[in-house]
Amino acid sequence: MISVKNLCKTFNGQDVLRGITTEIDKGEKVAIIGSSGSGKSTFLRCLNLLEEPTSGEIWFEDQLLTDPKTDIYKVREHMGMVFQSFNLFANKTVMENITLAPVKLGVMNKEEAAEKALNLLDLVNLRAKADVYPASLSGGQKQRIAIARSLAMNPKVMLFDEPTSALDPEMVGEVLELIKVLAEGGMTMVIVTHEMGFAREVATRVFFIDEGIIMEENTPEMIFNSPQSKRLQDFLSKVL
Amino acid sequence: MSDIETKFYNAFIVKDRWILYFKGLGVTMEISILAGLIGIVIGCVVALMKLSEPKPGKKHTVFWYIATIYVDIIRGTPSVLQLLIMWFIVFSNSKNGVLVASLSFGINSGAYVSEIIRAGILAVDRGQTEAGLSLGLSKAQTMKEIVLPQAFKNVLPPIGNEFITLIKETAIVGYVSLSDLTRTASQISSRTYEAFMPLIGAAVIYFIIIKMLTLLLEALERRLRRSDLR
Repeated sequence: MISVKNLCKTFNGQDVLRGITTEIDKGEKVAIIGSSGSGKSTFLRCLNLLEEPTSGEIWFEDQLLTDPKTDIYKVREHMGMVFQSFNLFANKTVMENITLAPVKLGVMNKEEAAEKALNLLDLVNLRAKADVYPASLSGGQKQRIAIARSLAMNPKVMLFDEPTSALDPEMVGEVLELIKVLAEGGMTMVIVTHEMGFAREVATRVFFIDEGIIMEENTPEMIFNSPQSKRLQDFLSKVL
Repeated sequence: MSDIETKFYNAFIVKDRWILYFKGLGVTMEISILAGLIGIVIGCVVALMKLSEPKPGKKHTVFWYIATIYVDIIRGTPSVLQLLIMWFIVFSNSKNGVLVASLSFGINSGAYVSEIIRAGILAVDRGQTEAGLSLGLSKAQTMKEIVLPQAFKNVLPPIGNEFITLIKETAIVGYVSLSDLTRTASQISSRTYEAFMPLIGAAVIYFIIIKMLTLLLEALERRLRRSDLR
């Protein structure tokens, strides 16, 4: 579904990604772990071209995203993204946050979008908040709404960029629980996370990114129980 | 009649002079409002020109250079001089003084407004734009639906401030012999040989107008703020 070939990204002369090659299949749940500054968020943000790769290829289904002729806006409709800092539209109500993109992009009409939004609000258990503005929500509620907003576009894959890193500890659970429900529903997802327990439980595959490359990739059991590289052993000894 | 009463009488009542003050105020407000509108239009366009970011490693667009040079020139020269140049050089044949003055102040104000708008747009968290783009919205849609409405709230107070400055700055149209409020007061004082009443009178009128405007802006700001904390 997603195919990455020799992806490199340079920021102001600094090599953040130094040649990443991988395939992600439909239905997979890939967790990306690694220390901060390792390039894992940059990698994720390259997948929908929020970060423009310096070189390399990214394929989504049969489209080459790194080709300037590809309509990246159209492609992004099928790739949901959830951010560390939620990024709910501050000037829109919860309802408007969810319905804005489907309506503006002509995917649904207003009534369909509103109905879909209510269903999603039921899913994230926040129907009562439909008409409030994001400023009055807690962090955990914001992130659940952000997930609902992404789902409204019926994405084929969801990209999670440290979805619980900005949350108070008592709110981490409700967001992880929701992501777990999506995973069980068969959604393809790529999750950058610091929650090792969650990665272990939900992921079908784990990437350990270090110094801009995938240093190790394997099943969660192998990654966490018998890490091969010294770097991963060090990393795990620090975080577990 | 006491001295004060005589002075007041001479400054405002004789020959219906109070009408002159209001005519002067009319000129002041006409120029201010017209210039304010021109300034906002120019400001928006120039702000967008300056926001056209180059890709990494590439040069700025030609629009960026035009906008930057415009802002530099306007901010680097006195507005009185700009007015005199417009009046005696660029539009030396024009009969419509108010229009020339409005254009001059509008062009001047546009430079400041553009910086206010640019800062207001940049103050909107980058994450808002990223969220819009990640859903498939175009840059223009994201700008229109998400960034600009939030920027509007940021820029309202400084734009109000700019307009208030503009109203007072138009007092320099006396340089090109337009009879605004300040020049009217000064002319009356030279006719009555008494400066206190006309000048203080004009000051009070400016003050009242600007105080009312301030209250209006505060009310508008309060309403905008309430709408996102509901």
